[in-house]
Formats: sequence, structure tokens, C-alpha cells
Amino acid sequence: MNCIADQNPPRVLLLVPARTYRAADFLAAAGRMGLDFLVGSDGALPLGGRPVVHVSGGDLPASADRIMALGTRFDAVVAADSPMLVLAAVVAEQMGLPHNPVQAVIAAASKAEQRRRWAAAAVPQPEFRVVPAAASNDALRKATAGAGFPCVVKAVSLSASQGILRADDLATAVTSARRIRRILAAAGRPAHEPLLVEEYVPGPELSIDGLLTNGDLAVTAIFDKPCASDGPTFEETVLITPSRLPMQVQAAAMATAEGAARALGLIHGPIHAELRIDQRRRQPQPVMLELAARSVGGLCSRALRFAGGMSLEELVLANALGRPTPRARQARPSGVLMLPVPRRGMLRAVDGRSDAAAVPGITGLTITIPIGQRLHPLPDGDRYLGFIFAEGGTPEEVQKALTTARGQLRVIIQ
Amino acid sequence: MTDLAAKVAVALERSVIPSVIARGAALRVVAVEAGVATLEVTGSPGAVLPLASRIQARVRAAVPEITAVRITAPGQGPLPEGAESMAEQARRILDAEINPAIAAHHGHVTLDGVDRGLVQIRLEGGCQGCSLAEVTVRQGIEPLLRARLPGMAGVIDVTDHEAGTQPFFSAEKR
Repeated sequence: MNCIADQNPPRVLLLVPARTYRAADFLAAAGRMGLDFLVGSDGALPLGGRPVVHVSGGDLPASADRIMALGTRFDAVVAADSPMLVLAAVVAEQMGLPHNPVQAVIAAASKAEQRRRWAAAAVPQPEFRVVPAAASNDALRKATAGAGFPCVVKAVSLSASQGILRADDLATAVTSARRIRRILAAAGRPAHEPLLVEEYVPGPELSIDGLLTNGDLAVTAIFDKPCASDGPTFEETVLITPSRLPMQVQAAAMATAEGAARALGLIHGPIHAELRIDQRRRQPQPVMLELAARSVGGLCSRALRFAGGMSLEELVLANALGRPTPRARQARPSGVLMLPVPRRGMLRAVDGRSDAAAVPGITGLTITIPIGQRLHPLPDGDRYLGFIFAEGGTPEEVQKALTTARGQLRVIIQ
Repeated sequence: MTDLAAKVAVALERSVIPSVIARGAALRVVAVEAGVATLEVTGSPGAVLPLASRIQARVRAAVPEITAVRITAPGQGPLPEGAESMAEQARRILDAEINPAIAAHHGHVTLDGVDRGLVQIRLEGGCQGCSLAEVTVRQGIEPLLRARLPGMAGVIDVTDHEAGTQPFFSAEKR
């Protein structure tokens, strides 16, 4: 036994993109766990205290070289958010650390590639067609005919419901595709990026968060989405856990998510899967909407607390270090409401915060867009106005607290 | 003893003297002039050094007429600058080493106070509400201050980040 090694805290490389909500929670988790961690980021300044390594998810070879040139031995490499996922896999591979295969992470970043791999593995999912970037209206007509109406037109590379529109007829599908291509251009995505046209699946929506270890999924939370949108845009609003869906439906959803991760080749680390329960069939069937090789986005993880008061980020870090992680979430139901941007304009004020925070059951309220900034609602925007958190004796109480608190807020936009 | 000196003595007695005694020293008010309270430490002056900023804060909070606190030791005059206040040292480090760097992101950091070895800072400009503010504090400012101020217990960011209007980086939902 190497006593000296045991006394040293594990060393973790934490890759933090500049525009993430997740930096503070991961840093707090690493601090609470007493980890020796180094931050790699595309935005942080190289201050004297603990120089941040400058890396960019868009420049993999140079970033990986810069990290490897440190000559530092790390025990784990963790990406705090999507833009750093591929770099984390590349670096972990070079360091010989447990990680997802790089190609699996790349596949998971494309909604079109997800669909192809799930189709090959017979993972339940909506009918879909991939439409090339330069496709004509006739090609789009054929794609919608394959998927059927109503359908959903999607950007394959964006997230947070950005660039997703429902279309109930061909004319709407054509205008939706045109609009999404403009959004992709504004987001700086390559002009050759295809679009996805897929069947609209009605039914309850849920998300599953979990941690993969050697391909086995340990679920950390199942969130119901009781206010899921029917379109034309698909704002994520309320997430409530534990799920109120029947246990057999939850079990089927977990199995579907695990199969979807496996079909992508993901074997290690967090996943966040989004599913709908297709109730058009005799037996309600979970179908995969999307899956990301990261934990739940935004500030939503703050709705979760695990055994011993651990946060989801602590579980992610522990999983990366090969430590056992508790599966049981604390028993108290909890939830989060993501405040969507209601309309375009300049944010002037969010009034009623004190009243909202005073609603029984509310445990937190954070407005995340600064006053004075321009707002862009979905499908163009990629930001939420803020987050409201609640706990309660039952999921129903949590939902009521969240919606009541939201009702207290007055968003003033010019 | 003047009324002001008596007020200072009462403030010390309530909140500071027990800690000073526990550290093997004693503290008394020797003068209050022009808003400056002069305190004399006897016994083990070094034991009082870590409390200097706390003593100053408590006295100024309890007696608003006091604008500064000077701590002396018999035959030694004022205690050394390093002890005089962790606050002053922290402020110098922020101004000389941190602010020039974060100015590149239109940011600025000010010292809000020091309490029981906890350095309280306030981020402004591009740092206020920035999605990487926590990285700046925990990976940049705190380790630098810790290296320079061995007696520092920690750094507290007291910024109202929600009130930031021009964060250098804004978070995006993923």
C-alpha cells in the first residue's frame, strides 16, 4: 500500500467552457471533495494564483497538446458542459484514463448521428429523415412524407430546444427549415450542416440523468416534464422528481436510455436523456428524443441532493475518479422551473421576486440574464431567463409551488 | 475616560476582549482623538495580530464616530503594517496583481472587508454576473491571496451577481 500516494488528494482536470451555467457548481463540488484540480477554459484569465490552461473545444489538437505539455498526471478529466466533451475524451484517451470513446462523444453531439445509430440498434425513436443542408423544397417534402405530419424540424447540433420547430404541414415545414438555417448561421455553425425532420410524438415527456460505469447505467434522477410543450417551439419549463409515471414505464424508459447510450458507444460518465412516452400504441412505449454525454444542463442540478448532501456534480466527479456513487436520491420531492424568454426585446426588470421566493416550498430563485440585455425567445435564443427551485411533500406540491411562484413574477421587456 | 473612549471600551469588552485574553494578551483603550481610537496591547502582542482587522471592524461598527483604530504595544509604537491589517495587504494585492489582469475583461475587484481572516471581495464590471466569475475567484484570486496572506482563512465573494449588467461571459443553456 502506498501511504504517501493515499494522502495526496486526487488531481482532476476540469474543462470549463466560458459560457456555461455549470462552472460554479463543479468548482464548489471539487472544493467540497478536497480535490486538487486544475481548470482548462476558453475564457478564464491566466491570473497568478493558479493559472488556468487555455483550451478550446473548437481547437482539439492544440488544446490537447497544451494540456499534455503540462506533464501533469491527472486522476480524471471532466468536462463541465457540452463544448468541452470531445476535448475531455481526447485528453483522457491520451492520458490512459477511463473515458468515453472519442467517436462516441462526437456521435452523441449530433442529433442526426444519434438517430442513425439508434436506428441501427433498434432503439425506439420517432420516424426520421436527415435533410442535407442544400436540399430543395422537394427533398424536404419527401422527408416530411417519410416522417408524417405533424413533424418536428430540428437543427442537429444545437441544444436547449434552440432551432426546433413543429410543423403541421409542408408549407410550415419549409418556412421552419428556412428559419432554422438562419439560426444555425447566426450560431456560427457550418453551412453544410443537415437538418433533421422527425415524427412528432405526443405524450408525457421525461428526462433521465445517470452515470455510466463500464456501460452500466446508474440512474441519478428521473424528471417528469409536466408542462412539456406541444409546439411550435419546445421550451423546457418544469422538471419534477421523483417521476409520477408508473414504475413499469419508468423501468422501460431507463432501459431505453441505457440502450441508447450503449448504441452510441458511451460507456463512462454522465448522460442526460430526454424521452417521450408514446401512448398511441397499445402499450405505452418510451421513445428517445435526444441524449447528451453530460449531466442535466443549466442550473437544474441544484434541484437534486443525494446521500450525505452530495450534489450531482460531486457524483459526476466521484464517478470520474472511479469512486462508488450513491444511487438513492434524498426522498423529498423537488423540482425546477426554467423561465423561458417570453418575447423579443430588452429586459428591463423582473419584478415580484420577493413574492415568488416567499411562496411556500420555494427554495431558490435566480435570474440569469442581466437587466439591459437583449432577449431572444426560442427557437432563436439559447438562454433561459432564470430558474426557480422548490421542494415539497409530494411532486404535486412542488409543481404547484413552482407555477405559483412563476405567477408572481412580472417580466418587463421593452 | 471620555464618552467615546468608554464606548470603544464597551465594544471591545463585549466582542473582542475574551478572544484577546484567550490568546494570552490584554487590550485597553489609551486614547480617542479625531476619530482615531488608540489601543494598547500587552502580554503577547503577536497573539492579537490575527485579530487586528476584526478589532477594527467591530469598533467601527459599534462606535460610528470612530474612523480608524490604531493598535500599539508598550515601547514598540504601532504594530507592524503586516499585522495592522490584512485588509490593507489584501487591497494592495488586488490592486497591484489582480485588477490589472482582469481589466482585460472589463472587470474590477474591490475589497469589501476582512472578518476573522475571511477576505470579502466584490466583483464589478465584466466580472459581475460573469459565468466564469467563480473560476476567477477560486482559481485566481483566492490562491494568490492565500499565498501572500498566510493568516487568511478564505475568500468570500459578496457580489450580487444577478445585478451585473455587463458580464464578460453570459451563460447559455446546454
